[in-house]
Amino acid sequence: MAVHMTERDPLGKINKTRSMVLAALMFAVALVLAIVENMMPPLPLAVPGVKFGLSNIAVMYALFFLGGRQAYLIAFLKGGFVFISRGIIAGALSLSGGILSVTVMLLLLLIFKEKISYLSISILGAVFHNIGQFLVITLLYAGMNILPYFPVLLVAGVIAGIVTSTLLRFILPALKRLV
Amino acid sequence: MRFYKKSDIVMIAAILLISLASWALYGYYTKDKPAKAEIYYYSELVETLCLDGAEERIFSIPQNPNVVFKMDKEGSIAFIASDCPDKICVKTGKIHRPGEYAACLPNGIILKIVPSGERGDDDADIIIGN
Repeated sequence: MAVHMTERDPLGKINKTRSMVLAALMFAVALVLAIVENMMPPLPLAVPGVKFGLSNIAVMYALFFLGGRQAYLIAFLKGGFVFISRGIIAGALSLSGGILSVTVMLLLLLIFKEKISYLSISILGAVFHNIGQFLVITLLYAGMNILPYFPVLLVAGVIAGIVTSTLLRFILPALKRLV
Repeated sequence: MRFYKKSDIVMIAAILLISLASWALYGYYTKDKPAKAEIYYYSELVETLCLDGAEERIFSIPQNPNVVFKMDKEGSIAFIASDCPDKICVKTGKIHRPGEYAACLPNGIILKIVPSGERGDDDADIIIGN
């Protein structure tokens, strides 16, 4: 996984322990961001449940600087945490969205390498996070017509992607010191 | 790797276009289907209203007079007032296509649009416990 990571620290390869500690730290950051986001007042929209998915910042950092395995790990653990704290449906939604999102972002990185921007990856990651959740809702609530929700999810993904990548841009200098 | 590129705008535009297209396609397929509205109070059907050629009407159901519905001539129906804290039901706005629904979960009220006559696959299927 280390091939396309040119923004890695000049010190070179991260050793195993360091990578593990950083992954754990990023998981903690993801949880804190999710909790902070839940404490903020809901966005004044007609559709409930739309949010920025700030914890995606931690997942994206892990993907860019620690590698795909760590990003998957954080997505899995976050799904597990949501399962314990908010129940099986919320857990399934978080997991499906997280896994699809990481998979898509990883594929984009592998295909386009340096040519793609953080913004594109962030937006497509958020859009596919929503699509993953959409698919699971379609499976769980068979017969419920949520098709009109689909365009809303796409637009919400674009906005969420813009917000998270902008935040990542400001946080990145601080995070880079960690690696 | 850069943060922003000019070509990102193309991608954003493409996604927005897809969402617009799917919205338009959905609207096109469900446009002229005759529809009726059903109001459920804790999963019990309390009122069925025909939406075609309806008169403008403001009403509420006997189980909860604090929740007010409005039906208008164009055949759409909406929650216009509710005593719930979040007002998600009111923010949902007017609905008129089969499959659309608006819900006030704190009050246990669900308003959904179903095709009149045959019950189709695009029915919203919802149960709320008490």
